[in-house]
Amino acid sequence: MAGRAIWKGFIHFGGFDVPVKLHTAVREERIQFHLLHVRDQVRLKQQLVCAYEKVPVPPEEQTKGFESEKGRYILIDPEELEQVEPEDSRTIEVHEFVKTERIDPLFFERVYYLEPDTRTTGYGTLAAAMREMDAAGICTWAMRKRSYIGALSISGKTLRLNTLRYADEVIPVTSLDLERISLSEKELKIGSDLINQMAAPFQPQKFENEHLKKLQGLIDKKARGEKIAILRPRRVKPTSSDKLLEALEASLRKVA
Amino acid sequence: MKKQGSVRLPPKLSADSGNEPSLQGIWSGTVSFSLVAIPVHLIRAVEPGRVSFRLLHSKDYSPLLRRMVCPDEEKIVPPDEIIRGYEIGSGKHLLITDEELESVSPERSRTIEIIEFIDMEGVDPIYYDHPYYLIPSKGGEKSYSLLAEVMRRTNKAGLAKFVLGEREYLVAVKSTAGALSLITLHYSDEILPDNDIAPEEARVESAEKDRMKKVIREMIAEFKPDKYANDRRKKILDLLKKKVKEKVPVEAPEVEEEGGEGPADLIAMLQQSMRKVKKKR
Repeated sequence: MAGRAIWKGFIHFGGFDVPVKLHTAVREERIQFHLLHVRDQVRLKQQLVCAYEKVPVPPEEQTKGFESEKGRYILIDPEELEQVEPEDSRTIEVHEFVKTERIDPLFFERVYYLEPDTRTTGYGTLAAAMREMDAAGICTWAMRKRSYIGALSISGKTLRLNTLRYADEVIPVTSLDLERISLSEKELKIGSDLINQMAAPFQPQKFENEHLKKLQGLIDKKARGEKIAILRPRRVKPTSSDKLLEALEASLRKVA
Repeated sequence: MKKQGSVRLPPKLSADSGNEPSLQGIWSGTVSFSLVAIPVHLIRAVEPGRVSFRLLHSKDYSPLLRRMVCPDEEKIVPPDEIIRGYEIGSGKHLLITDEELESVSPERSRTIEIIEFIDMEGVDPIYYDHPYYLIPSKGGEKSYSLLAEVMRRTNKAGLAKFVLGEREYLVAVKSTAGALSLITLHYSDEILPDNDIAPEEARVESAEKDRMKKVIREMIAEFKPDKYANDRRKKILDLLKKKVKEKVPVEAPEVEEEGGEGPADLIAMLQQSMRKVKKKR
């Protein structure tokens, strides 16, 4: 069962309006820990503290500023901030359609299922049209005082809406300052062969979160007062550059 | 270098804190495939948009930082005095150390072992969670370049599992413009079923479908993320342009260590946004 609807709107493009409701599509499972003070085991709270005085700062003593140069801030009033917040609109405006695989995975943020909001034929018709065209709609909308860019897509019979990151939120590879290394054709050939030998279809059901169960096991053990054996993490010796070809050849023999 | 405390915060927590330098490593270890092992650092691939406000203390205009505070003493607790606890009753906790946590899956806590290579196009985007970059540590540059290049040539991505802090991640390691990026993936049982979302027998209006397809065809384009400049960013820049003229900036007291992110160069950003506006005309 998908989560309850969190927002309502209309998909709008080229004179069409399709009313939809957004539902959460993913629910993470995790074991919840608290952070404690080691001395007295009091549960700690995350708070905003003054970098200068090193004391917690209550909300009434917080203000917002924009750093115009190092250590200097232009103060912004809350009323002025309201002006820059987008007005909530109910329109998910589709601007263009693209091939889904042309969207770099780095851009995908959160995903929602779209439920038809009325019993009209718009939803089923749009789903069928998008399926036949095999295209995703790039759209923008405002919800909860934020403007979003997203990708509207179809999977099975359900329309989905993925929020995308803005271009200036993704750190460009050029800023990583990676060294260009020359590789021999032989290394590249054997490396490619190795990858093709290790190729498999993506079958997510094959992978369980085994760690979650093991972690629960550790907690149960501790709760019974048993001692936990400390195992050192396995460290692998890095392959040195002059041994790379050798390691590739040995790998290929192993998997072939 | 940041002091290593007894508790390592999960990557999302540290990635969102907003005041760490963007290229700071979250984790270091090894990426391996078959017998090849590459020493790497994991760093973040996304950061909040460049135009963002800092929270300041209204008394002294010093920036605010997120820190763990002991509610009894109202004091900041240094990382080496923090321990992880699992609640077993109200206020009662089992203490779990980093070493114990690492002992749960020791083979996966320092190594990202690629088990198989997949077609990234075969991955439903619903699985994508959070992106990072891997950068080579000293001595790993060559094998790193090799893996990035052969994955680009074969159009494949490596699938692996590894443990960081409290969680085990299923990840895809792929080639992005000469670099290795790492995308955490959701487990299949975290994907909620969608069978109750759309009606079983959705009615399709065939004349309308043809009209929609015609419009879609006319709207086909290449995805260019730069085009969607954040509207909010533009508005903030406009507001700041106005404020720079009427108000003198306040000065924060100098604080040793714990520097924030480098200053955003407002003037450069204004010029850039002006150029973009001009280009559009």
